[in-house]
Amino acid sequence: MNVKTELITFNTGMALENGHKLDSFELMVESYGKLNKTKTNAILVCHAFSGNHHASGKNKVNEIGWWDEIIGPNKSIDTNKYYVVCCNNLGGCSGSSGPKSINPSSNKPYGSNFPLVTVSDWVNSQKMLMEKLDIPYWHFVVGGSLGGMQALQWSIAYPDKIKKAGIFAAAAKSSTQNIAMNEVARESIRKDHNFHDGNYLEHGVIPKNGIKTARMLGHITYLSEQHMNQRFGRKFQDDSSKVGLDVDFEVENYLQYKGEKFSEIFDANTYILMTKAMDGYDAASKSDDLSSALKGVLAELLIIGFYSDWLYPPERGKEIQIAAMNNNIKSSYVVLNGEHGHDSFLFHSDKYSQIISKFIES
Amino acid sequence: MNNKLSKIINPWVPKEGKVIDFGCGDGSLLEELMKTKNILGYGVEINDKKIESCVSKGVPVIKQDIDKGINEFKSSNFDISIMARSIQCLKDPSLALNRMLKLSKRCVVTLPNLGYWKCRLNLAYGRMPVTPELPSSWHETDNIHLCTINDFEDLCKKEGIRIMNKVFLGSNGAQSNLSSLSPNLFAIEGVYLLEKQ
Repeated sequence: MNVKTELITFNTGMALENGHKLDSFELMVESYGKLNKTKTNAILVCHAFSGNHHASGKNKVNEIGWWDEIIGPNKSIDTNKYYVVCCNNLGGCSGSSGPKSINPSSNKPYGSNFPLVTVSDWVNSQKMLMEKLDIPYWHFVVGGSLGGMQALQWSIAYPDKIKKAGIFAAAAKSSTQNIAMNEVARESIRKDHNFHDGNYLEHGVIPKNGIKTARMLGHITYLSEQHMNQRFGRKFQDDSSKVGLDVDFEVENYLQYKGEKFSEIFDANTYILMTKAMDGYDAASKSDDLSSALKGVLAELLIIGFYSDWLYPPERGKEIQIAAMNNNIKSSYVVLNGEHGHDSFLFHSDKYSQIISKFIES
Repeated sequence: MNNKLSKIINPWVPKEGKVIDFGCGDGSLLEELMKTKNILGYGVEINDKKIESCVSKGVPVIKQDIDKGINEFKSSNFDISIMARSIQCLKDPSLALNRMLKLSKRCVVTLPNLGYWKCRLNLAYGRMPVTPELPSSWHETDNIHLCTINDFEDLCKKEGIRIMNKVFLGSNGAQSNLSSLSPNLFAIEGVYLLEKQ
């Protein structure tokens, strides 16, 4: 597989939805496969809240990409046939401009001063990336969860630049419950005494405990009750592999371990920024309702939901399907069992992979 | 989808119309209508394998149990709705008929005829009918609301549903003199174009 990882600078900057302007910005971009001569085989993959540009294969530090089960040679998004692009979203913490970057006006990290970006801003920056890569249009824009929101927004914002969209485990807007969960996560970060109003890097610390708690809560919402029961049940953790003395159950150990790992790599301000973008997204915010919002969409849509997903349950995808049908958009709505709750969109299953590849090829 | 059946339904579907097909199976009827009449079609199907076939044909499809939702699509202004060989599987066929006729002015319904002489013969021998058209035994079948041609037409009358056109298929799966002459006895399947009065 032909893999390219590059940091691309956009010197023209961009105007953000909230009125701020970034004078210049950088996107960390990974791509797989090759753009064909007619430039008809480009696919944009949009990552979810904690994802990044590394979607497939192994990187230099041997980490496997977050959607490696779906993207790769002869996989459902086949890198032998398609040129697949994924970028770390603006405001992220994996190389693209974000709260950890140096603010040119102060020569200090932006911290909490990095402007709040939105799903629309991401889509606009990805459009600039598309032009930079000399891609005339995307054959397919796809993502799960927050990535699905970007795919939907692409079809609304740039109808003639996208042939097909894949919107998986997503919704046209976050629910009250989604916002509530995210606020608890943000609160745990803000209340960490190392947070320093978001300017922790200046103080040489990170609000590790806050990020860890936030991630532990997040993990619970990403899994289904059934999956947790099957995987952990009420089993006790072996003494030899306990992460701490307070741990009794396996599920506690799992959450502690996952939370700890995440807190070492993820930026607290990015956590807040990404969840704010997710909460703030409403595809219909500039229209009367979702149906009017989809009026100009030309892309074919594939909406996939999972029965075990209670964070973005399949009914939320159905709302997009109905609005699409009201607008005579060619759109399919598929619901699969998915064992992993909301996280199901990340994993291969025969049915899931078949549907995706057949939709891309059809 | 039986080729002969789709030939009957085809002229009833308006060119470039918006069509919804409940129980669309592998999507072959919609695919053909997309090709021959340039329709915008949506299939509704519950079987994952069949949904895959629809997606690979480029036929838009919705995973949905028809029993649970026909009404959900009422905002969508369909020209015609189709339910081929499925109405007898529904919990409330009468409600389904009325709901389809709220989605679209017209609908196409096809159903197996329990009055077909072979079915009657089975019953005369004291057995639930098992025929090529109704192949499953009573405890395995999805057909929980079987009826005869006469029964179905009575229901339409009672519900104020006008039969705009009807075609009866004989034992070879095509129209025949016998099946047209005495459908309740000789038709294996009735194909109806319906409209709400």
